Amino acid sequence: MKTSALDDLFDRHPISRPFVSWGVTVISVLLCLMVLPTRLPGMELAGIGPNWLLIWVVAWSVKRTMFQGAMAGLILGLLQDGMTSPFPTHAVSLVLVGVLTARLQKQRYIEEDFISVALIVFGMAVLAETVTAIQFSLQGGRSLVEIWTYHQFIALSSAILSSLWAPIVYFPLNRWWERMGLVDSV
Amino acid sequence: MYALQRWWERYGIQSVLVGVALGTALFVRQTQGGVLLETYQLLTRPFHGKPTQQDRLINAQTQELQQRLIELESRNQRLEELLGFVSAKKVKGVTAPVIGRSADHWWQQVILGRGSQDGIRVGSIVLSPGGLVGRVSSVTSDASQVLLLSDPSSRVGVTISRSRYMGFMRGKSANRAVMEFFEKVPDVRRGDVVSTSPFSQLFPAGIPIGRIESVDLNKSPAPEAIIELSAPINYLEWATVYPNSANLGDPQLTAPSAPIPASAPSPEATP
Repeated sequence: MKTSALDDLFDRHPISRPFVSWGVTVISVLLCLMVLPTRLPGMELAGIGPNWLLIWVVAWSVKRTMFQGAMAGLILGLLQDGMTSPFPTHAVSLVLVGVLTARLQKQRYIEEDFISVALIVFGMAVLAETVTAIQFSLQGGRSLVEIWTYHQFIALSSAILSSLWAPIVYFPLNRWWERMGLVDSV
Repeated sequence: MYALQRWWERYGIQSVLVGVALGTALFVRQTQGGVLLETYQLLTRPFHGKPTQQDRLINAQTQELQQRLIELESRNQRLEELLGFVSAKKVKGVTAPVIGRSADHWWQQVILGRGSQDGIRVGSIVLSPGGLVGRVSSVTSDASQVLLLSDPSSRVGVTISRSRYMGFMRGKSANRAVMEFFEKVPDVRRGDVVSTSPFSQLFPAGIPIGRIESVDLNKSPAPEAIIELSAPINYLEWATVYPNSANLGDPQLTAPSAPIPASAPSPEATP
């Protein structure tokens, strides 16, 4: 079996354990980054796709401390800046998403299932787009009316799509982190 | 010293990992995602389309040719009044597949599957059957990022082909754009063809952009009109990239210019 082969490897070479567990984590981030520019049929609504990095940050922060959530948000935000345009930065909204998700302490109030993760992602997607809209408003250059009309349109589409696709990122990653013992008990 | 050592044993690996991750993220941001763009191009290579969907584009192409004709007619009228030396040179473009869209929802961008190896530079002009699409904003060796005309941050000097009234245009998402006129009472009506103006710094003059969809003359501070972009920006699969040069106005329609006899007096030589 595959799992026992992995355990076997860890038993023989304990040093490989962090490399494998962090390697899978990094690859999952890269996969999310590579899916961002695609608009596959079924994954788009009026030209808007799910916000994969936001789903990743929520999946990461759900069972972690606020500092860890903020760090993940910062790193993924900078990466997204590299993919699009650095001004205004995406790091602000993703850091906020990481901190707030960790602050929710889901396991204390809500039972773990994909409905609750989808709900968190829905709320966080609306929040993230709102933060970006505020950044654009402060930055100037675009007219306020246009920014906020556009915000209504994309906040809703992005929130619906992201929450529907959230389990695809959340469940495999969460299983992996639990198995590798990477999730701290908060 | 002992406390420091104990802290290092406990948090050392974690802080190094966070540092490395932060450093990588900053590097990616500074280099504008060059590595990521290249990887994306490589990964999506098996899915790049082949130029077979001509049928869908024929309609757009006829529209483009009609607009070019109107533009040429009205420009010709003006040129007949002027006597000057006009050189017409055929510019060769690079055809590139569209391999991706913007990586977030606020920017209207596309990613093309050709880069600096094929001669694409930052600032190159991107056309598609139908007219102007946008401008190359960053480029790596095998991929390039295009800022579309429909992005609110892209501004272009435009002119009404029929009446030569000028203005500037800014994107308004999807395939619409808003044109603001310089004059208070411009001669413009629904259906007029819009093309890039000679005042535009970023684009050569005379490239078709779209048609006027509606006009609001009472808007202050300047009258506004909504332009429907004629290039099929929402389902773009292929685009042609041209270097930014002044004689690009009609890349397909211009015939190769006849060689000028050496004895002919050049305009500069006349007293």
